Amino acid sequence: MSLLSFRCRHRYAGGFRLDAAFKLNHTVTSLFGPSGGGKTTVLRVVAGLLPPEEGVVQLGQRTLVDTTRRVFLAPEKRHVGVVFQNLRLFPHLSVEGNLRYGARFGRGGKREVRFERVVEVLEIGGLLKRHPKSLSGGERQRVALGRALLSDPELLLMDEPLAALDEALKARILAYLERVIQEWNIPTVFVTHSQAEVRRLADWVIVMENGRVVSSGTPEEGLSRPEPLGWKNSMGPVNLLRVEYVAFHQNHVHGRVGDQMFYIPAESPPKGSPLLVAFQPADVALARADVQGLSVRNHIRGHVCQVVPVGQAVFVAIDIGQIFWAEVTQEAAAELEIRPGSEVTCLLKAYKLRLVS
Amino acid sequence: MNLVAFAVLSGQEWSALRLSFQVALCAAMAGLPLAVVIGYLLARNPLPGKWLVEALVNLPLVLPPVVTGYLLLVLFSPRGPIGSVLQGLFGLKVVFHWTGAALAAMVVSFPLMVRAIRIAFQAVDPGLEMAARSLGAGPVTAFFTITLPLARRGLVAGWLLAFARSLGEFGATIMVAGNIEGQTQTIPLAIFTLSSRPGGIEQSWRLVALSLVLACGALAISELMERRSARRESA
Repeated sequence: MSLLSFRCRHRYAGGFRLDAAFKLNHTVTSLFGPSGGGKTTVLRVVAGLLPPEEGVVQLGQRTLVDTTRRVFLAPEKRHVGVVFQNLRLFPHLSVEGNLRYGARFGRGGKREVRFERVVEVLEIGGLLKRHPKSLSGGERQRVALGRALLSDPELLLMDEPLAALDEALKARILAYLERVIQEWNIPTVFVTHSQAEVRRLADWVIVMENGRVVSSGTPEEGLSRPEPLGWKNSMGPVNLLRVEYVAFHQNHVHGRVGDQMFYIPAESPPKGSPLLVAFQPADVALARADVQGLSVRNHIRGHVCQVVPVGQAVFVAIDIGQIFWAEVTQEAAAELEIRPGSEVTCLLKAYKLRLVS
Repeated sequence: MNLVAFAVLSGQEWSALRLSFQVALCAAMAGLPLAVVIGYLLARNPLPGKWLVEALVNLPLVLPPVVTGYLLLVLFSPRGPIGSVLQGLFGLKVVFHWTGAALAAMVVSFPLMVRAIRIAFQAVDPGLEMAARSLGAGPVTAFFTITLPLARRGLVAGWLLAFARSLGEFGATIMVAGNIEGQTQTIPLAIFTLSSRPGGIEQSWRLVALSLVLACGALAISELMERRSARRESA
């Protein structure tokens, strides 16, 4: 039994066709792909805002949609929380009123989502008496997220939760999203066209294009396509590796990917395993052979599995059991003769690595 | 002395004023729930018979009020299709009774009320209702907690408009309720009665002034409420 199983066909009057099927079992899934790919349509069908022409949607044991049996559960009976792209805060209610509205239909789910705790985690205690109109974009985002959480959903849907925010705000809201995921562990599906968001948040990705699922898998697998989608209009990939915790030693965590060791700066020993380590592709230096006598702590051997030129830069996908990306100049790539199959050493300065969660 | 005498209302004038208020209040109150339902349906749902509903609602706006009154008289007379049922079931007599005046005022003012309310509903983002439903509110709860409060300004405006229009109703009222002093004679009917007597034009002055004050009052209140709620929302 999977958490969410989805199989639907739908044709809009304008001619756009959705024909998609997938099953989910992960905590955080990303629906990824270019605009107009059908991601939001999937969300609307799952939330109960759009009855599809044909299809079956199941959430756990419950059938939300089954067109053969004429089942289309009303949105209020689905226990599916939605953070809408335009947030849809109630303008006649205060922030507190909005949050309490989420809680008032007390579904008494398995998780205990307490009002005080939501306010604390999202740091919106100071906003409670204010009206949505007077809030900044980031504040509104947090209130909308809090409201959806307080309805105690079995599944949380987010439609481009970060699209309307500038880069600095995005980073802050991402941190809140991570906290929320960690705290309540509510299965979440979020729509995005940003690879960075997929890599940072998702543990499963479904790539959609022209109304179809074109690939799915872990972010490493799902995004490793010959022509990554949304590549040219995003910030490019952010690397996220799963590292097995080995030891904590003098302000550094020692962690393992396969049999290779990573040194990651940390103030204290991490709480859980596996660890997630994030770093920018531009912070990876490549060498053909291992280099001795360098201050760089992390020397990782891997082989190139993909080379994608983007403007002046070249993104190189490197397989070390998991895939991560390095960004180098075209000249460097040519000089080092980097092509699929080549063996490389990746040099990663420890202080450029960041532990996530 | 003259001025004091001018300011004191006669018994006939008092009862006309009292009746006008009673009739207009009842008409506006009785019309409101139906106007909300129809205004909402017209604003939102692509109904199959929408044009028919719209035409029926707006008919009294273009029909001569006397004709509206005539039709009501036919329907609600003790032998008419609706009047006989009312009389048989509840012992209710509408014709030549103040309730008949209220009925006439309600029907004539109804299109104005529906129009204002419909526009107010159209201005409310239907996405907010869907957001409420995704949080667990049923469609009725979502309507009463989200859509209705957001459309309240239009509701108040529509109500006041219908109230003011009801105060001035004449043609349909005189057909259905007659012009019985102390029973169905509202301000406009009293003015009509007084003015058709010799020297009555002067005597009608006070009721004319009263009508002006009431109409201006209704407009002022409607304006005031709109401003107040606008200020609260932008705060």
